[in-house]
Amino acid sequence: MNRHATPPRLIARLAAGSIALAIAFAIAFVSLFASTFFTTPVVANTAENTTVRGTLGAVGSDTMAGLMLRWGEALAQRHPDVTLQFQAGGSANAASALIAGTARLGPMSRPMTTAEKQRFTHRYGYPPLELKVARDALVVVVHRHNPLRALTRRQLDAIFSTTRRCGAEQPILRWKDLATTQDWPFGRITLHGRNLASGTHALFERRALCGGEFRRDISVHPGSAAVVAAVGESPGAMGYAGYHHLSAAVRSLSLYNAAGKAVAPSRAAIQHGDYPLSRSLYLYVNAPPDAALPPAEQALLRLIFSPRGQQIAQAAGFVALPESRRQQQDRW
Amino acid sequence: MISPSRLRTAQPRRQFQDRLATAIIVVGAVAVLAAILAIGIFLLWHSLPVLAMPLPSITQKLTVLAWGTLKAALFTLLFAIPVALCAAVYTALYLPPRMRHRIKPALEMMEAVPGVVVGFIAGVILAPWVEQHLASALALLVWPPASALLAGLVWQALAPRRLPFNQAWLWLIPWLLAMGWLALWAAPLFEHYLLGVDLRYVLETRLGVDYATRNAMIVGIAMGFAVVPGIYALADDALSDVPASLMEGAQALGADRWQTLWRVALPAAGPGIFSAVLIGAGRAVGETMIVLMASSNAALISASPFEGMRTIAAAVAIELPEAAPMSTTYHLLIFAALVLFLFTFLVNTLAEVVRLRLRSRLLRLGGGV
Amino acid sequence: MNRKAAWHGLWPWLCAASVALSLLLLGLLLTLLLTRGLGHFWPAPLEAVTLTSGETFAGEVIREAELPDRSGQERLYFIGNRDNSAQDSHGTRFRWVSLDTILKREAPAQLVRLSRSPWGDFIGQLEAFEHSGQRLEDNAAWQALSQALAQPKNARPNARLTLRPLNGEAFIQPLAEVYRASRPNAMSWLSKVRYWADGVGRFLSQGPRAANTGGGVWPAIFGTVVMVIVMSVIVMPFGVLAAIYLNEIAQQHRFTRLVRIGVRNLAGVPSIVYGVFGLGAFVYGIGATVDEWFFSASLPSPTFGTGGLLWASLTLSLLTLPVVIVATEEGLARIPDAQREGAVALGATRLETLTRVVLPMAAPAMLTALILAVARAAGEVAPLMLVGVAKLAPQVPVDATFPYLHLERKFMHLGYHLFDTAFHGDSVQAAIPLVYATALLLVLIVLVLNLTAIFLRHYLRRKRATT
Repeated sequence: MNRHATPPRLIARLAAGSIALAIAFAIAFVSLFASTFFTTPVVANTAENTTVRGTLGAVGSDTMAGLMLRWGEALAQRHPDVTLQFQAGGSANAASALIAGTARLGPMSRPMTTAEKQRFTHRYGYPPLELKVARDALVVVVHRHNPLRALTRRQLDAIFSTTRRCGAEQPILRWKDLATTQDWPFGRITLHGRNLASGTHALFERRALCGGEFRRDISVHPGSAAVVAAVGESPGAMGYAGYHHLSAAVRSLSLYNAAGKAVAPSRAAIQHGDYPLSRSLYLYVNAPPDAALPPAEQALLRLIFSPRGQQIAQAAGFVALPESRRQQQDRW
Repeated sequence: MISPSRLRTAQPRRQFQDRLATAIIVVGAVAVLAAILAIGIFLLWHSLPVLAMPLPSITQKLTVLAWGTLKAALFTLLFAIPVALCAAVYTALYLPPRMRHRIKPALEMMEAVPGVVVGFIAGVILAPWVEQHLASALALLVWPPASALLAGLVWQALAPRRLPFNQAWLWLIPWLLAMGWLALWAAPLFEHYLLGVDLRYVLETRLGVDYATRNAMIVGIAMGFAVVPGIYALADDALSDVPASLMEGAQALGADRWQTLWRVALPAAGPGIFSAVLIGAGRAVGETMIVLMASSNAALISASPFEGMRTIAAAVAIELPEAAPMSTTYHLLIFAALVLFLFTFLVNTLAEVVRLRLRSRLLRLGGGV
Repeated sequence: MNRKAAWHGLWPWLCAASVALSLLLLGLLLTLLLTRGLGHFWPAPLEAVTLTSGETFAGEVIREAELPDRSGQERLYFIGNRDNSAQDSHGTRFRWVSLDTILKREAPAQLVRLSRSPWGDFIGQLEAFEHSGQRLEDNAAWQALSQALAQPKNARPNARLTLRPLNGEAFIQPLAEVYRASRPNAMSWLSKVRYWADGVGRFLSQGPRAANTGGGVWPAIFGTVVMVIVMSVIVMPFGVLAAIYLNEIAQQHRFTRLVRIGVRNLAGVPSIVYGVFGLGAFVYGIGATVDEWFFSASLPSPTFGTGGLLWASLTLSLLTLPVVIVATEEGLARIPDAQREGAVALGATRLETLTRVVLPMAAPAMLTALILAVARAAGEVAPLMLVGVAKLAPQVPVDATFPYLHLERKFMHLGYHLFDTAFHGDSVQAAIPLVYATALLLVLIVLVLNLTAIFLRHYLRRKRATT
């Protein structure tokens, strides 16, 4: 075979080739441009009966994934041209996506930290719109046959943290270190928790560990459902998860509140905040104060604060907002 | 065909077309090369800021990950190497080529099963079961191989004509199934009579061995499943490249088959097998989904097969999408990915070089077959 | 010596056993997926259980497990009826019952199972079917219900059902929220088979429901297919060009050999590394720049500056590039030089040699390359998690609005869907049957693709050997 290429010929070939490639790239770019130019959501005007259309981009909490998806389904039933794209990855992700602008809706299972709010305000000149959309709680779960029923905050901290900031003197590593589980289960308390970016992780750290540090031998799961499933399969395990992930395979523990009373995570206790680890779920919206929200976003908020929206939250396993709080926010 | 006159008139156009085509090919190849280089350069560039970070925090974070990665790979290889090499020895040396060509694709199918499926089975189905039935699981690991030896003894005693040894791979399947079932049935009884309590209870209370549901043993088995076919295929190639004349010579000198294997075939194919193992190690180090789903992802440094680990690949998969771009974590994770990239690239290159060398050597030995 | 020889005769058995073991493991895996994946759609019988405490409930048996103290067995029931709760406990959809607390198990024929939204399945008795003032009861109600559900969704009457769980108060259920009903205990074999086929059909053709714990995987199949097609369109030309260059044009010196080894080794680089590159270089790098230049109007919401179909396809095409190059080159190298020399001797230019002689002969190899690349891409999840796969993307990337293919959209992928439902969903227990079905589908797709490639390759070698 002839495999000799003299230099000038090579240059000619390279030149011709690069022209061809440039043309190819140009075509690619034009098509890219066209593709999005024509698909940027065309938003119809907001009069009552016209169709609302558009795409809602949300990035955030795993805990709220099921809830957001259900709200999205209900919204799509009401307005077929509105679609909700949701990417779960943890609450920290919601904040960074809102700040970076990769999403306009940020569902979070914890309130934004001041630092996150500052970064947002710094970038956009206004703070994000903060909405409480449902009630939830963190529950501490053990295997369904575990005899343990209740824990004090100190014990919880002594089990999960290395720092014991809540005041316990000894770490609790083994089941025999607890009074009710002297005989069974045996061995080490195997701990299950969430990955670093999840709001569940951050909230548990702040509220249950008094801001201390987690032990390092906690199994890290990418989702709360996985935590519950793992605990449900293993008699010697303990973990924490969102209330709505509770399943028949596990038992949730009562926690002692400040008054020294053991409170089980019941709906009423969570709705009114008696259960120590109850919390609100938040939705942050990138909403400039001087302009009205896009109609698709308004439609979503209207749905969320309607009685039906709150019913959907219950169906998804969360707890509805107290009625007064719901009416207060139902203004979209 | 083309008539000469048309040929002549089309000459300049043909020349031009030819040049253009060549140029496009060259540019395409250069683009591919550039893309490949871009990966390396990107990783390098984005992990440069790591140099500016305080050393202790980096080493602390990376040691855990490196340890986890190596531990996962080690336990994988512990399971995969014996199975894969043994299978390769069997198919390359004991099976007629026709049968070998049928079995090989079947084994390669194992590699095609997506990691996410293997991880799901291992993490959600296998791990909880093993935790509840540790004794049975260990029995399953030990007894079936031993039972294969038993099958050999029985076979030697009975010497059945209907079941020739070169079809053993087929009729050993029901045998192994039966033996597995036997192990499952017998293990709890043994546990009950010998220990009186759960094996895990003995491990944890008397020996102080802690047990995590998703642990290195589970990861080893699951990832072993994914890695076996890769190692097997290369080892099988290496062994069947060993010239028949060498082995025939050894057998003519009175060596039995097993001796031929140990003294002749394995040393001759040694580098090839080594490279097969290297490739397997590379795969085990980089596999993401299986580790993510079947290990506990706990940032632990422990050597116990019953404890979990966190590997580089899993850490990158969980944490990178959530790390803000250009933040410290982001750069650190990219650096971890770079380490992974360099490690696998080097290991694979080494394996490839060894393999090519061996191939030419064997060709020479076999007189250029 | 004799004893030693006996041992030597035994060791090969271990080797045979390891082949058998590998095949056995593969077989077990496939059997598990097949039985669990397909079994999920079979209408399981419903039980009415009476406990020693006097309580009754209805449910489907899921599985049994040993009690942790090994004193007996317990059984998991799916009981549904999430809305039937004054009860506050949350695992109401499932219930573990210890076997020794069960007094009686029956299978009454009139137990119905309804699939509903948003409260999930109902298991219990259908008391009445009310429509325009008319109230039908018991069997007549069931007839009316099945007739109503047989009609398309918008033609169904605006009826109300009265449902009674075995352990609770009767309540009213609007028909609009019900989409499927069955009485598994009263079904004949034939209707069970029909129900099963209908279930499989729905799984393949519908979108996910109830936060991915129900419904089907159609968008995920579609997303996977579109992503794989876009990837093939990108990777095939470049891969084939590079292979032609390496095998036909480049001089075979040390550098070429080095490049070849490099390309081969890229196949062994972990997929997650490609994902990292895709995220950093494509999404944060190129994507952000493209947004600044062309889509600054819609900033801060990104268009290309976030993961999407284009970036995922590009990342996967980088990942599959070595596969394509290696497989194509293998095909090219198998073509005897005599063929090329013959063409050149007849006065053909390089282009003509390529297009008329070499490429037609290498076509099956290129096809193999394509199939292998597709199989690899279809099963790959880790890099996609970084560059654009979504938990739920109701908008598929192809639709009727110009320009029909939307490269910036996020998409769903079968493998990621599997991971997501198994780990991120509401409830692992509720999602597991679907995960099995999805896993089965994914494995089938990948295995069929791989088998095709193997068959092609085999056929190719045989053909080459005979000519």
